[in-house]
Amino acid sequence: MKWIAGVDIGNSTTEVCIGVISEKGSLQFVSSNQTTTTGTKGTQENTIGVIGALEKALHSSRKRVEDLDVILLNEAAPVIGDTAMETITETIITESTMIGHNPSTPGGIGLGTGKIIFIEDLDSVMNQDPYIIVASKMYSYEVIADKVNKARNKINITGVILQADEGVLVYNRLERKLPIIDEVGYIEKIPRGVMASVEVAPPGQSIQTLSNPYGIASLFQLTPEETQRIVPIAKSLVGNRSAVVIKTPKGEVKEKKIDAGFLYIHGPNHSVEANVDDGAEKIMVKLEEVKEIKDIEGQQGTNVGNMLNKMKETLATLTEQRVEQIYIQDLLAVDTTVPVEIQGGIAGETCMEKAVGIAAMVKTHKLPMMRVAEKLQKMTGVHTKIAGVEAVMAVLGAITTPGTKLPIAILDLGGGSTDAALLNENGMVQSIHLAGAGQLVTLLISEELGLKDLYLAEAIKKYPLAKVESLFHIRMENGEIRFYDEPLHPKYYGRVVVMAEEMIPIEGDASMEKIFQIRRESKKKVFIRNAIRALKKIAPKQEVRTIPNVVLVGGSALDFEIPEMILQELSHYKIVSGRGNIRQQEGPRNAVATGLLMHYVGG
Amino acid sequence: MKINEELIKEITKLVVEEMRKVECKTIGYSASYGRDEAKKGNDVKEVVIGVGPGYLKEITRTINGLDHREVLREIKAGIEEEGMYPRVIKVYKTSDVAFIGKEAASLSGSGIGIGLQSKGTILIHQKDLYPLTNLELFPQAPLLTLELYRQIGKNAARYAKGLPVIPIAVENDHMVRPKYQVKAALMHIKETEEVKRKNPSIEFKNV
Repeated sequence: MKWIAGVDIGNSTTEVCIGVISEKGSLQFVSSNQTTTTGTKGTQENTIGVIGALEKALHSSRKRVEDLDVILLNEAAPVIGDTAMETITETIITESTMIGHNPSTPGGIGLGTGKIIFIEDLDSVMNQDPYIIVASKMYSYEVIADKVNKARNKINITGVILQADEGVLVYNRLERKLPIIDEVGYIEKIPRGVMASVEVAPPGQSIQTLSNPYGIASLFQLTPEETQRIVPIAKSLVGNRSAVVIKTPKGEVKEKKIDAGFLYIHGPNHSVEANVDDGAEKIMVKLEEVKEIKDIEGQQGTNVGNMLNKMKETLATLTEQRVEQIYIQDLLAVDTTVPVEIQGGIAGETCMEKAVGIAAMVKTHKLPMMRVAEKLQKMTGVHTKIAGVEAVMAVLGAITTPGTKLPIAILDLGGGSTDAALLNENGMVQSIHLAGAGQLVTLLISEELGLKDLYLAEAIKKYPLAKVESLFHIRMENGEIRFYDEPLHPKYYGRVVVMAEEMIPIEGDASMEKIFQIRRESKKKVFIRNAIRALKKIAPKQEVRTIPNVVLVGGSALDFEIPEMILQELSHYKIVSGRGNIRQQEGPRNAVATGLLMHYVGG
Repeated sequence: MKINEELIKEITKLVVEEMRKVECKTIGYSASYGRDEAKKGNDVKEVVIGVGPGYLKEITRTINGLDHREVLREIKAGIEEEGMYPRVIKVYKTSDVAFIGKEAASLSGSGIGIGLQSKGTILIHQKDLYPLTNLELFPQAPLLTLELYRQIGKNAARYAKGLPVIPIAVENDHMVRPKYQVKAALMHIKETEEVKRKNPSIEFKNV
């Protein structure tokens, strides 16, 4: 009788598995346990967590850690990743040509075109030209309404622009109704005497004329060349409930491409260039051209250059290596859009700019698991050894999932990297580590929603959403209604919340549907793409169809929707894929620890 | 330095004198309001503002001197800007802001009510909540401004519409309590003297 323990120290979880080898040499699994990893993976602090988990696992057999004959430790994959994001387009308004503005409560309905006149100058005009009145917040809604009502007897007024949030208040006091746009912050930037147009759509609809280039052209009698130039204006107004467009002599809106720079992908014999401005698709195509990547560099002095340099520095610090020794081995680029405030806007308008998110991965020297093993041996007095490479052990453990056969592949969707391994009928194991996993998804969610809060983005990634519709009921993202006996805290009222252990309210205007869509899109962009990429690299002749089983293990396999997404995608290739069920009882957990025991007995 | 009873008496005396002055200035300023009993509304677009029994009667300005009519005007404007209808009632049975708010919410068609004391303390209530819980409370009346009252009105209307509210930035001053304690106590006593337990709440019109 020999008592052995397999220990898998992960980035966030430490998993252990206890087994007994009989006199005949057959292995029997006794118990398992898991705990949060203490300290950073690969440091000596890990031992505290390991011993704790071992004690708990051994408790049921009335054994102590000292009674073990051997402890088997995982050999961590020597890769580490980082993520970053850079915008590649920028919208600039010169001379305030437009307000693509969406105040929550505009007044009135309709379209008005006329010359800009400030409310204080009303008395000075007497002609019959159409006018649009601009009023600063110095004037109260009663005064404004009164002045507009009186002025309408003399001049032709077609619309009103307000600085304060008083559109409805003014509207309710007008004798004849006009479209009103409010909450225009910097009205002093509006030039006097120029032509402008105001449009407010009925509730639940969006504007029709100002979001149409020919609509604007008709209002302002533009030439074909001028119409060409106002396309970005019309584009940025699409979907708005209300808008103002002001015609200035020289003003224009430009969608400028920021020179994001080139990526240089170095292979063993040749190098390939990829322009970041071309977007993620093109970068990934270029990346595939290089079979074995030696290093990836960014063009010096450009956005992408600085981004990769920063990543390399972070990774150098983490791995205690010099920056020159850091070689990027893989990279995942993802297209995304991020809300950015438009430069030169007069009401704090934002525009969805194109951006590229990048995850990079470097190979490091072997993580110092040796030191953890030594320390563990010293503390427990039990012979401790590093017994096998993580991915290989995981694939061994994965075979214990019922319903699988050889050849079998595992996908370990982690935080920093996506790992895959394939075990064929001859017992050969092929493994690969790719850049891009959970952290990149979190970054995408955070940036696309403009959250600037990675903890919240992480929660959005992990848990379903709900909308708090009253103090006593919520609507879940699948449409179900859930009732509460006690009133919910008012801070949740009317908000979209994340259904974590405790509800987390999401600030901002994004609807539940939008957040839901961004969450799923981000997961697809990263995990589906990487799953296919990884399987292609390990499959014989790069033919994904030759792999009959794919078992998902690791933290992201516990995600509530990723396994389904991958199943859907891989079913096109006639592959059986799903969340693993290690030893018919552990679910996707404990694969490596189980594999370590199997490897010890078999090898 | 010792804080003795004489000092406190002295301060109280001075404050009372000051308050008399304020009242003298605003004498002859009494609200004309209907005498009809406030009923439960059935318009879901309605937000009810409940004012304390002394509002625009014994007291006409809030603790930091804001005119009671102006305060109501701003709250009503906030509700109107969000596309909802304000209705004002006067609550007689209590001078406690939580219960005034609860009463307003119970009579409100939308179930959202605002409780407003004469000294300016204000909260937003919902009909199904316990009296002492509420949606939003603004306890430091001396720090409230007309702009804040407008925003509170807006938020109340947003609750009624089922929309998320915009967090209102309020100042916090630890010295407010000691500074205004006596004045607040006196104003509250005055308001409480106006309480008529048996009287129903009435519609408070023309303000």
